[in-house]
Amino acid sequence: MSHSTRCAACKSLRKRCPEDCVLAPYFPPTDPQRYACVHKIFGASNTTNMLQQLPMHLRAEAADCISFESRSRVEDPVYGSVGIITQLQEQIITAQSELVKTKGEIAFHNAQQQLQQQQMQQLQMIHAIAQEVEDQPLWLSSSQQDPFPNVNQQLLEDYNYSNTFCGFEF
Amino acid sequence: MGGSSPCASCKLLRRRCAKDCIFAPYFPSDDPHKFAIVHKVFGASNVSKMLQELPVHQRADAVSSLVYEANARVRDPVYGCVGAISFLQNQVSQLEMQLAVAQAEILCIQMQQEPNLPTHQIDQVDKSFLLSTNNFDNNNIPQYLSFASSSNVIQDPLKRESLWT
Repeated sequence: MSHSTRCAACKSLRKRCPEDCVLAPYFPPTDPQRYACVHKIFGASNTTNMLQQLPMHLRAEAADCISFESRSRVEDPVYGSVGIITQLQEQIITAQSELVKTKGEIAFHNAQQQLQQQQMQQLQMIHAIAQEVEDQPLWLSSSQQDPFPNVNQQLLEDYNYSNTFCGFEF
Repeated sequence: MGGSSPCASCKLLRRRCAKDCIFAPYFPSDDPHKFAIVHKVFGASNVSKMLQELPVHQRADAVSSLVYEANARVRDPVYGCVGAISFLQNQVSQLEMQLAVAQAEILCIQMQQEPNLPTHQIDQVDKSFLLSTNNFDNNNIPQYLSFASSSNVIQDPLKRESLWT
């Protein structure tokens, strides 16, 4: 018993495609290029062996990966998929250094901002203290408001005189 | 004159190692495993054809990459090298995202510091950041894999060994 239409592998090999053809599910006749790359790089028997060693549920993924690798190798006969790996590794290195540089800039800006805030706070404190000192009442100054508006001024003067008679304070 | 020892490939294939053996420069007899693994995955005749199609100065690199791929396929019979590619693509995507976030943050900081910048100058600041990241824009990175990638990825070969040893 054979498939009504041969798979791409059996077509390429010009043989009958049996019912249990290992490659048939993964290399349909509608995509001959897919099998052509695999055949060129790995060969029919190696591909069959590789798939036969795997459980059924993993063969589709394996066939896709084998197809990808063979296509990469056909497009780049020197480096194949390894060229892609190298390119990705270089991209990672560049991205990492860019990230470190950018994070460094952020840290620098944040540190600058923090310093400015601290300086601002200190200036505000100094200003507040200066304002307090300026606002402090001078009780004996005639230009200031009388702190004892209800007291007889004569009594207050007599009190001050007696307390400081001969420079002696009571 | 004299019998120099056969290369690893001719030893494995049990044949006479000719003077112009295509494998001899790249598969010395002291490293039989190297040819064995390449032969197991690709087959000697396929490797021979591939090397013949390349100029001599590129064959050493081609052999190194074939050995790497063969090792990857033996270690991971399902995904081979593609597992590593998938893993690295994920890393690139993650780094891209982190970089985009960090650069957006820088932009915010700059805009806070210069709130009175006229709009065309702010646009230029935007563009300089975008231009410095256009290498990592999704449109420029080719999407190598269009099918599902696996969690069973190869990390060891990339971490432990240099590509061309």
